[in-house]
Amino acid sequence: MPPETAPSAAELVTAKIRVPQHVVYRSFPAETVVLNLQTGRYHGLNATAGNMLAALERADSVRAAAVVVAGEYEQPAEAVERDMCELCNSLLARGLVELDGDAPR
Amino acid sequence: MATLRAETDHAGARRLPPARRLRPAERARLAAEILAAYRRARRELRRAPIESAVAALRAGPPEAPSAMGPAPEPPPTMGPAPGLTPATEPVPRLTPATEPAPRLTPATEPEPELTPATEPAPGLTPADGALVEAHRLGRAVGRTLRLLPGDTRCLARSLVLTRLLARRGIPAKLVIGARADPDFLAHAWVECAGHAVLPAGDGSYGRLVEL
Repeated sequence: MPPETAPSAAELVTAKIRVPQHVVYRSFPAETVVLNLQTGRYHGLNATAGNMLAALERADSVRAAAVVVAGEYEQPAEAVERDMCELCNSLLARGLVELDGDAPR
Repeated sequence: MATLRAETDHAGARRLPPARRLRPAERARLAAEILAAYRRARRELRRAPIESAVAALRAGPPEAPSAMGPAPEPPPTMGPAPGLTPATEPVPRLTPATEPAPRLTPATEPEPELTPATEPAPGLTPADGALVEAHRLGRAVGRTLRLLPGDTRCLARSLVLTRLLARRGIPAKLVIGARADPDFLAHAWVECAGHAVLPAGDGSYGRLVEL
């Protein structure tokens, strides 16, 4: 189940993002396919979003992931951070990621 | 050059011995078992996520192996997936999207008996015997379920075969794969000892998860 209330931007940028056990994903050249085993739904991420998801899973915070991705894409970290927060909220709303520290679902 | 995908996609490369043809009574028993497993798979999918459904279908003591005849089957697929952005688009589900079929039998009805075991071919190891049996069952599941109305595509077939193999104590993995190009397709199949015993597709599916 997705969280009932979305975290604030300040909470989100310092949070660690975790992919729950019931979510699996695989990156293809043009798309990342995400499968939520609890709902049986597939979701598609474009290559950039897929790269962001992988960075989010590796990094200790959204902000740290944004710095990494900003370096890869040679873009301002603030802009990438905004995009990543938006992506995180989308993924959280669909139950595809969790904030570390949330009770496992 | 041999690749892992090639190795897992085509179990026939090991040239296992052909299976004995089943007698009509044995075929009928096996078809009844497949139908019972199909009803149970649908029920489990309605109740729980796929991981739990697979676990429930595997539950129960292993029993003696069985046999039946061949019938090749093309790989069915699950259909296109949505992107994240258009939230209103219909999204394909792993669970059957059709209305639940009316229950034909009480939920507690015992499953039909297993069909009798075939004699193992001389020189066949237990592992090879299990693989031969798994292939036979895979063909029977495809041949039987394709005659049924409703959603009997790859996931249903994989769940049914998972149940049949578990009843016989044959270890197996249910694999869910997907591809993104040229269009999105997802596919499910079953593997025994690294060999696909239901059609694993054309090699374009990347593995998402093994259950």
